[in-house]
Amino acid sequence: MSFGAFVLRNIVATGFRSAVILTCVALVAGFALFTALVTEGSEQSLSKAKQRLGADILVVPKGSESRVQTALLSGRPTTAWMPKENLDKIAQVSGVQRASAQLYLASLSNASCCAVSEMFLLVFDPATDFTLQPWLEQELGGPLKLGEVVGGTHVFVPEGDDFIMLYGYFLTLKATLEATGTGLDQTMFMTIDTARDMARISLSRAEKPLEIPADSISAVLVKTVNSERHDVAQRIQQDLPGVAVVERPDLFQAFDQRINILTKGFFAVLGVSWAFATLTVGLIFSMSANERRREIGVMRALGSPRHFALRSLLAEAALLAGLGAAFGLVLTYCGVLLFHDLLASALDIYFVLPSVVDLGVLLGQILALSMASVAISTSLPAFWMSSGESVGAMRARI
Amino acid sequence: MKFLFLPAIILTLGLLAAIVPQFTDCASDGKSITLANGKTIPMKCHWSARAEIAVGVPILGIGLGSAFSRRKETVRTLSMLGVLLGALVILVPTTLIGVCGTPGMTCNTTLRPAMIAVGSLVIAASLCMLAYNEFQGRAEM
Repeated sequence: MSFGAFVLRNIVATGFRSAVILTCVALVAGFALFTALVTEGSEQSLSKAKQRLGADILVVPKGSESRVQTALLSGRPTTAWMPKENLDKIAQVSGVQRASAQLYLASLSNASCCAVSEMFLLVFDPATDFTLQPWLEQELGGPLKLGEVVGGTHVFVPEGDDFIMLYGYFLTLKATLEATGTGLDQTMFMTIDTARDMARISLSRAEKPLEIPADSISAVLVKTVNSERHDVAQRIQQDLPGVAVVERPDLFQAFDQRINILTKGFFAVLGVSWAFATLTVGLIFSMSANERRREIGVMRALGSPRHFALRSLLAEAALLAGLGAAFGLVLTYCGVLLFHDLLASALDIYFVLPSVVDLGVLLGQILALSMASVAISTSLPAFWMSSGESVGAMRARI
Repeated sequence: MKFLFLPAIILTLGLLAAIVPQFTDCASDGKSITLANGKTIPMKCHWSARAEIAVGVPILGIGLGSAFSRRKETVRTLSMLGVLLGALVILVPTTLIGVCGTPGMTCNTTLRPAMIAVGSLVIAASLCMLAYNEFQGRAEM
């Protein structure tokens, strides 16, 4: 009988023990992958959202900073208004390279004049915008025309239609932005001209007209001269007392804190469960080693080499660990892939899934770690089993 | 006795296929489509949920049938039928009827992925039962 066949027979013969080890490794490897996917994915998602906004400083009406950040991150609509003259004042602050105004609107909820219920509409001014405009110039070869919009990855034209209808106004979806894993994926971006035209049409065609207060804006995005962000933020705050200034690193801070707490919790649980699983597997193998002392003694007396038992037990452990980890990893990834949106809403965080290369590296690392843990936990009983005297082992009471 | 494990899994999955969609469609969230004349009609996912009953119940029958069947040929046929119905569990919310368009709705976040998972497991369990049936003598079952 070959060595491989011997190892396989041992695994099959002790079916329950093998199943317990396999389950332990699968559970821990699966949880490790889940933790890595959620924590790394949420950090990536946050960084993508900050990149999408593309500003060094966000200026919003005082008291609305938390609401606006939540809206930008979750895609749940909100409105916030401040005088348009704030834009000119901010543009004149020393150290400000560019400043652009944005308007935050929402589609109607469950209205037949809106194809999409309660969508966050982000209105920008193409004349001053420095976040979307460069991307539009590059991808579409020009700015958005009247009636044209771009959307996050979850914005789509309803099946069987050629346009998206909002407030009784027909919009053409020109392009879809790359997924960020946040609410920006369900946000629609349009120019100020389109928004004003939509407001005009809505008076006669919508169940409720779209109201855009005259001479009002929702936020100002600011790009600063290099390394002057903090000073510029302080200057804006001093010059305009009625606004709240959020610097780029502080954007989505509440979400960032939530990720940190969740990450710490996940890693604590993972550490404890990993330690318990390693101990359990070690315990099971030491019981098995004790159980098989007589068998090994007989094999040694028949001429099998001293290290044969050590090799066979380690091979058994490696095979079970590899299979268990692979099973756990595949099952967990399929689960996260299928229930991604449900998990995101249940955990109340946003996360993107890694690229194929990153996923491959992650799976390889967890697989190697699982096999190493099982190898360590079995090495002691395996060494003890192989080092015993054959006659003593044959006489051992089982 | 050992053979009862797979039929029990198939039976449970059949129950899940028939029951889970009834509580995860948009109608269970109180959502419906309001027409221009004011009349409300159920959303697309509601019909997917109804169709899953028609697929889930025969899967339940396959689980019961294979648990009590003594004939190798019967188990083989039931297993193949299980593979086919498992595929239908997946196809109803993804292709044949579908679910609502908006990504954040319950039918998109729960019903569709749950049915893909249940359908895949029905296929896997049926294939395992088929393999077990072919490679092990009925005497052992």
